Amino acid sequence: MSRVWKSPVVARDTAPAARQQVLPFAELAAPAKPLLLTPRPVQRLWFCIYLPQLPLEACRSSAEALVIVEEQHGIHRVLLADAAARAAGVMAGLSANAALALLPTLKLEERNPVREQQVLERLASWLERFSSFVSIADRNLLLLEIAGSLNLFGGLQSLRQTIVRDLGMLGFSAAVAIAPTPLAATWLARSGRRICIRATENLGPALRRLPLTCLHWPSGQRELLTGMGITAIGDCLRLPREGFARRFGAERLLDLDRALGHLPDPRDSWRAPERFCADYEMTEEQSDRELLLNICRELLLSHEQFLLARQLGTQSLCFSFFHLKSTATELRLGAALADRSASRWFELLKIRFEALRLPEPVIAVRLRSGLSQPLLAETARLSFSHKAEKQKHRYSIAQLAERLVARIGDHSVHALTMVAEHRPEYAWCARNPLSDWTASTLTMLTDTRRPLWMLPEPALLPADSGYPLHRGCRLTLLDGPERLETGWWDEGNVSRDYYTALSGAGMRLWVFRNRQRTPDWYLHGIFG
Amino acid sequence: MTVRYAELHALSNFTFLRGASHPEELVETAAALGYEALAITDECSMSGIVRAHAAAKETGLKKLIIGSELRLRSGRKLVALVQNKGGYAALCQLISKARRAAEKGSYELTRLDFESGLPGCLVLWIPDRDLRLDVEDHWIRETFRDRLWIAVELMADGRQREQLERLREEGRRLKLPLVASGDVHMHIRARRILQDAVTAIRLRTTVDKAGFALHSNGERHLRSLAVLAHAYPAELLEESARIADTLHFSLHELRYEYPNELVPAGETAGTYLRKLTEEGMRRRWPGGVPAKVIALVEHELKLIADLEYESYFLTVEDIVSFARAKNILCQGRGSAANSAVCFCLGITEVDPGRMAVLVERFISKERNEPPDIDVDFEHERREEVIQYIYGKYGRERAALAATVITYRPRSALRDVGKVLGLSDLQISRLSRSMQWWDGRTVDDSRILEAGLNPDSPVIRRLLYLVREIIGFPRHLSQHVGGFVICNAPLHELVPVENATMPDRTVIQWEKDDLEEMGLLKVDVLGLGMLTAIRRSFDLIRDFDGRDYSLASVPAEDPRVYDMICAGDTMGVFQIESRAQMAMLPRLKPRCYYDLVIEVAIIRPGPIQGDMVHPYLRRRNGEEAVDYPSEEVKGVLQRTLGVPIFQEQVMQLAVVAAGFTPGEADRLRRAMAAWKRRGGLGPFEDKLISGMRERGYAEEFARQIFRQIEGFGEYGFPESHSASFALLVYVSCWLKCHTPAAFTCALLNSQPMGFYSASQLVQDLRRHGVEVRAVDVNVSSWDCSLEAGEGGAPVLRLGLRMVKGLSENAGQRIVAEREKGRYATVQGLMERAQLDRRDLGVLATSGALQALSGDRHKARWAVAGTEKPVPLFRGVEHYEAAPLLKKPTEGQNIVADYQSTGLTLERHPMCLLRRHLDRYHYMAAGQLPDMSNGQRINVAGLVITKQRPGTASGVTFVTLEDESGYINLIVWRKVAEEFRSELLNARLLGIAGELQIEGRVIHVIAQRLFDHSEMLGELSVSSRDFR
Repeated sequence: MSRVWKSPVVARDTAPAARQQVLPFAELAAPAKPLLLTPRPVQRLWFCIYLPQLPLEACRSSAEALVIVEEQHGIHRVLLADAAARAAGVMAGLSANAALALLPTLKLEERNPVREQQVLERLASWLERFSSFVSIADRNLLLLEIAGSLNLFGGLQSLRQTIVRDLGMLGFSAAVAIAPTPLAATWLARSGRRICIRATENLGPALRRLPLTCLHWPSGQRELLTGMGITAIGDCLRLPREGFARRFGAERLLDLDRALGHLPDPRDSWRAPERFCADYEMTEEQSDRELLLNICRELLLSHEQFLLARQLGTQSLCFSFFHLKSTATELRLGAALADRSASRWFELLKIRFEALRLPEPVIAVRLRSGLSQPLLAETARLSFSHKAEKQKHRYSIAQLAERLVARIGDHSVHALTMVAEHRPEYAWCARNPLSDWTASTLTMLTDTRRPLWMLPEPALLPADSGYPLHRGCRLTLLDGPERLETGWWDEGNVSRDYYTALSGAGMRLWVFRNRQRTPDWYLHGIFG
Repeated sequence: MTVRYAELHALSNFTFLRGASHPEELVETAAALGYEALAITDECSMSGIVRAHAAAKETGLKKLIIGSELRLRSGRKLVALVQNKGGYAALCQLISKARRAAEKGSYELTRLDFESGLPGCLVLWIPDRDLRLDVEDHWIRETFRDRLWIAVELMADGRQREQLERLREEGRRLKLPLVASGDVHMHIRARRILQDAVTAIRLRTTVDKAGFALHSNGERHLRSLAVLAHAYPAELLEESARIADTLHFSLHELRYEYPNELVPAGETAGTYLRKLTEEGMRRRWPGGVPAKVIALVEHELKLIADLEYESYFLTVEDIVSFARAKNILCQGRGSAANSAVCFCLGITEVDPGRMAVLVERFISKERNEPPDIDVDFEHERREEVIQYIYGKYGRERAALAATVITYRPRSALRDVGKVLGLSDLQISRLSRSMQWWDGRTVDDSRILEAGLNPDSPVIRRLLYLVREIIGFPRHLSQHVGGFVICNAPLHELVPVENATMPDRTVIQWEKDDLEEMGLLKVDVLGLGMLTAIRRSFDLIRDFDGRDYSLASVPAEDPRVYDMICAGDTMGVFQIESRAQMAMLPRLKPRCYYDLVIEVAIIRPGPIQGDMVHPYLRRRNGEEAVDYPSEEVKGVLQRTLGVPIFQEQVMQLAVVAAGFTPGEADRLRRAMAAWKRRGGLGPFEDKLISGMRERGYAEEFARQIFRQIEGFGEYGFPESHSASFALLVYVSCWLKCHTPAAFTCALLNSQPMGFYSASQLVQDLRRHGVEVRAVDVNVSSWDCSLEAGEGGAPVLRLGLRMVKGLSENAGQRIVAEREKGRYATVQGLMERAQLDRRDLGVLATSGALQALSGDRHKARWAVAGTEKPVPLFRGVEHYEAAPLLKKPTEGQNIVADYQSTGLTLERHPMCLLRRHLDRYHYMAAGQLPDMSNGQRINVAGLVITKQRPGTASGVTFVTLEDESGYINLIVWRKVAEEFRSELLNARLLGIAGELQIEGRVIHVIAQRLFDHSEMLGELSVSSRDFR
């Protein structure tokens, strides 16, 4: 038997928590040894993508006449409107009510910054095919460094066309600009002008004419400048430097210098959060279960290493067993708390693997981890003694639940919670035992007496001249009635008189008479 | 043996968001069920008892008991039941104390509050859920000894047998008797749904999450005697009736007494009122009182004495004298205010000689309704009057009346929607498309329009609950200014609680309750126009020494009426609205009484009743004035046969439909509330059949009824109109003869009235008065008058016009200027201790022009100022001069509007005219030369949009251009087609048809164009990159 070891690859994912790395500018620019050659500064070229419609486009709704609203000072206001809404006169800044007055059929969607960020990150990871350096510059701006990519994509024109066309196909309307400094590129893109400047010396004339509205500066400062008749970058550049810095802060002055390329402007590159994914391919098909388990253990060990290096754990794992003909068999594992220990995961795997049916031999195994998360401290432990082995295992409640779930399946293990409700059938509910142990709360019980043994559905009792019968005998009503009239707000409206009753066989039963429609008798529970 | 039962524990919906039935409903149901008595025991409140009292009288309930449920901080719950008058006072006092000790809307009680023992009250002890009466609570037994019962409230919760046994045991142990009671929250079982909903509203949760806070069943209603007999042992039921038998208190016993300190020793209220009236008479007619007036005063004094209203007039006189002493302008109005006595006492300035009106029209002996005097004070100084009243009578004896805030369709939709789990957006969509909803029926299409399914169960539940809850009281608020003043401490009469405003207290009864109980209240109201008039008088006096008062402004000046007839009334009182202005040239008022009619006629009531046009035609002699009968002629003669005033409608009900004066009065009250409570029904039949029986045409009867409906909440009585008309005249006189002072006073009294500062200033300039800009080196805080060329008054805008400048900063600028003018911006900052924000708003307003040049330079200078360092105080900071563009005229205009809301530059439309010419728009000034029916194009800034409920879908729009105003009429069809333009445009272009009727010009809009983007060009300089 021979095996080919493939090193685990790291899959990137577009989840909100992005890790960022800094592109080492200085190292690239600095030569390793003082050679006779004069080091040429690397000419960078920045491609900026501005997505003014992102909140709308991130919404992915097929609705016509859709607007994105955002709450400002307690009023929902229109942030962006689609073409149909704009045609009806709905425009940004209107209150939601005013917009509805214009177009009663308008669909309103609340702005979702998390969704926008996710879309932006997906786009960022998609853009990595065009450049090794992608950066999220603002909540609707993406930056690519493309100096190195030009040849690969057949020159600037072609690269730009490709990106704009592909963005369009993905459903995004973008304004793009290319400039030697990242700030210049973003400002030019925000101006909406399709402009491409390759040489730093050409930046000045192009930037001078840009209105201040393209700048990312706080709106208060922009308004202040406008109030002084300063409306374009050129106007700023004409002002006395000292006076400008005194009024608007040195940072603004530095912005101008950075944009014009007088000062360096290092940027952070964007990296997707990491998720473990590793394949183990075999040269021939295998059906030896012991061997497969060993392969899985090896994968779990490298998974543990991966998480250990990052101080993370995960709550779910998925093994895929690939076959030659059939589709892959999947085995998912879940833990109540985030974990990375290979031995713990392996124990859970063993329990489930026993029951796993493989339709045909396996050619490869893949392990993918779920979202990684920081590890939590463990909670109290229950103590179980294992008689046969004469040794004590100490399990936390969470571990016990995990093992039970692993052994008998997701749908067979429940946690119970009390619900504050008068209706007995709604007074409790089942909960996923693996979810959120820490937040579980038990609500107080009513002091009315309820049987512990409830029928899944009330059972109709036959009646004899108005008295209920159980197994042919008249019931003796001991206590009651407890009248329940409630639940009108959902489809479970009840109106019943409950009684404790004694059956001929001496059983204490919980029965009710329906007060709605037909006054039938039902059996609902049995007292222990 | 028949069952006897008295319900001793019942909450109405005045236990806000707990009780689910109106007090009237509880009373009616208890009467119908044959209860021996019903106690209304709202939680720490007496708000609902007057209604219950009135309902008890009507329905013949055997006995109404007054009481209150009280929860102590320890959690113990008691119900106190009033035994006699002393007990009532004690309970009111306890409630007042508990309410005053806590935040508005809540109360705070501990055992210490019961030290007096609540004499005159019986007490029910409501056991806790655990049914244990704690040893610690033996103070309850000690305090109430022989007046204490244990309440047994069996609610079919499955524990009733156990509960009864336990309580019997406790009763034996503590030697306390038991009594049955019902913890009633609603009058019928069906209200449990609403009861659940209000509980969820109270707890700010949704119904499905409210859990055990909801009752498990609907037993807490007024149960029939048969059901009760089944649920309770007979002796407990009988005990309730026995308790009821020992309670004899009724609200009838309460007697209101006027404060008596106003009458000096040795006088009676009657002699003192006569003395004051006679003094006033000599003051009013220094040259000798006309015999007619003497006779009138004698007649009135006799009427007042017969009705024992002397103290009321004295109370009002005292308040008015205080205001006069403090130079606060005031004016009385209302049924009693237009009497000669009130004129003599100085309560009103309306000379009874000016209108031949008999006081009987206002106070009637047989109607036995309390006189009503509202006094308007300058709105900015009303607080001084209120504090005077508190100071004079003490908080014990003076308090504001309450206003019960009830659910309206919109608030109902919001609250009910929330508890049913609808989202905020869904709710606002619904309330938008149902804003016209009367709460009864609703179109499915409206619900669909809001994006919801009308057949969905949630929506059906929502509509059901909204219909149920409309009209339910939600909380108590304070009446705008209705004061109740009493001789004895008020809390012996009615509980007093805190209002939202600090240092305000309100009683738990509202206006209608006070009327029902015969309590007198004085309305102390604020009126902006009085402030403006007083300021005008002051400005005139300071400028040229002429001294005027409300009474001494020359009467019946024909030049003033000329101005009114021309519709040149912008800024004056009441007759300044667009509808009024359009009506003036047609009504052509020439005398005081014409103004009285004018004030009353342009209102929803007369418009809805279709009274305006008949009156116009009759006045212009186009239609004969005739009367269906002599009686009707007596009522309607002064308004040419057309009923215009509320009093006339009531008199008609009496003379033409056979109403008793009492019924007419009930009709009046129903009129005010019919939209909320729904129900002019019985009056409609009685009125119409009554008139038909007396031989009036059905059509005439229907017309009268329509007008009654129209009066609704806006019905305008002649007695108020008469007082308002005087202020109309005085404000018109000021506008006519001293326009600079009048406009200046209006600007200083903003916000008030119908028009913006910009419109008032433009109007003033059109009348040829110069207006000067704000300047830190000249302006005071207020706008002021300066002597211009030839000594004519010139209006100088004050620092108050600068948006965003605080009054404190403004006053510092003025005070520091006394020491010398400001030379630099930095100097201004240091001397007047301004911060950069203050300077920024001054720069925008153009007030720094003299210090630093144009706005651009001023803003540069302001941004460069630095917080003064003590060491370098006054040291100039030198820096290179920046290259700044000069602001364009457009930019200046935009900044002017931004900062002061008005510009003294050219009108923005002048600058845009060049662009607008492409569309062949005409100017407002050209319209009078056009002919009726001509098709024209006009454009202007949108200044008002109105869609009166009375005008069946018509929108009235006023446009402004450099030459004046253009009045548009937009019919519903056009409005729908051009919805976006109508709603959004700030600069609107119109293609339409001209309608000229005499001097009234309208443009009927046919197409609308939004040119708002042109306004942007004003502020954008041409060099901008776009």
